Amino acid sequence: MIEVGIAVALVILGYIFGSAAERRHFKSIIKRERELNRLAAVATRFPPEDTAWRQQLVTGNVVIASDYFKTFTASLINIFGGKVTPFESLIDRARREAMLRMKADAQSLGAEYIFNVKYNTSRISQFGAGAIEVMAYGTALTPPE
Amino acid sequence: MDFENRQPREGINTTREHPLKRFMILLGSAAVLVTVLVVTLQLAGGWIARKIPFRYETMAIEQTSLELGSERPPAELVAWLNQLADKVSPGLELPADIEITVNYHHENVFNAFATIGGQLVFYRGLLTQMPNENALAMVMAHEIAHVLHRDPLAGLGGGLSSMLALATLTGQGGTGAAASLLNQTGLLTGVQFTRRMENNADTAALAAVNSVYGHINGADTLFVLTGAERDDSALPQWLERFASTHPLDGDRVRAIEKMAADAGYATTGKLTPLPAEYRQWLNED
Repeated sequence: MIEVGIAVALVILGYIFGSAAERRHFKSIIKRERELNRLAAVATRFPPEDTAWRQQLVTGNVVIASDYFKTFTASLINIFGGKVTPFESLIDRARREAMLRMKADAQSLGAEYIFNVKYNTSRISQFGAGAIEVMAYGTALTPPE
Repeated sequence: MDFENRQPREGINTTREHPLKRFMILLGSAAVLVTVLVVTLQLAGGWIARKIPFRYETMAIEQTSLELGSERPPAELVAWLNQLADKVSPGLELPADIEITVNYHHENVFNAFATIGGQLVFYRGLLTQMPNENALAMVMAHEIAHVLHRDPLAGLGGGLSSMLALATLTGQGGTGAAASLLNQTGLLTGVQFTRRMENNADTAALAAVNSVYGHINGADTLFVLTGAERDDSALPQWLERFASTHPLDGDRVRAIEKMAADAGYATTGKLTPLPAEYRQWLNED
């Protein structure tokens, strides 16, 4: 019975703190995206050839942990199947945050575009931690000096 | 060339549904699933187990090298315990093919149990606290009633199949917390069955004790004793009543009183003392 009590308490705490953290993160993501939208990051591999752009690799990397509530709900979804919605928002945050960090890197170089943008993800499940790493990388094009 | 990044629209890659809504539906469905699964398996496992002829239980216990009692038990005590079993057995209308063997265990544990093959185990800890033969006869009749109802095998059949099913289900279920919660739900469902077995065994045992002694005086001694021991339970009573494998001692005492009133058993009568050498036998060990 004590086990159940602990699990229930952790789920409640996970929900309260996890939801608050998620709301705060999304707010910050949307605000920074608006600021950085003018620095275009695109998937094409062919940069415009009209300028002798300086080309540099830029990366953005983030690790976000799942909370107890999300993990618990996801494990219940595992029984019945269906969309793992608690993790969809987690992955969405991670991808957008990685992109923002990559853009911040490019902005510090004075870049105008980021080309050939790609994502890499890996799962960190050691020591019972449910966390995801997302890395965004691309080629920053900086105008010649 | 003109490149641009537009602001991603919200609610495409994520859901707008409130997380608690889905959580509640999932939790409810999982609880229903586990309950239905365990109830079905307990019923099916118990039903199949009770269809197995008793001789297979005897064969099974003979083939295992399970040591049920102490190595060198006091012979007179074991003989007397077996005589007591023979004394109460007719009151239970035990079929001819079911043979009861009483084993003695020297540990000071307040317990007695019945297992497959008609084997009963009585612990020293329980025997030393018995004030008279009537009290012990009730415990004996209760354990024999479990054998008669085939509860040890039914419990094994229903319990084992439920355990396997839960392990498979929660193995798929991922995290420890969800697995633990589902297992607890399964256990809680399972104990509803064991409690029913206990109540049925009490009813049969009370009838047997009444037929042997002509009254049921002393039959509730065990539950009065265990009730006194467990007074300091941390759980509220309603929760303990729901979560325990056995009915609560106070409930059992009241149930005995009610059964006695319904069946017209005499609640007073002369108590039969234990044999004069009884304490000496217990101290021999």
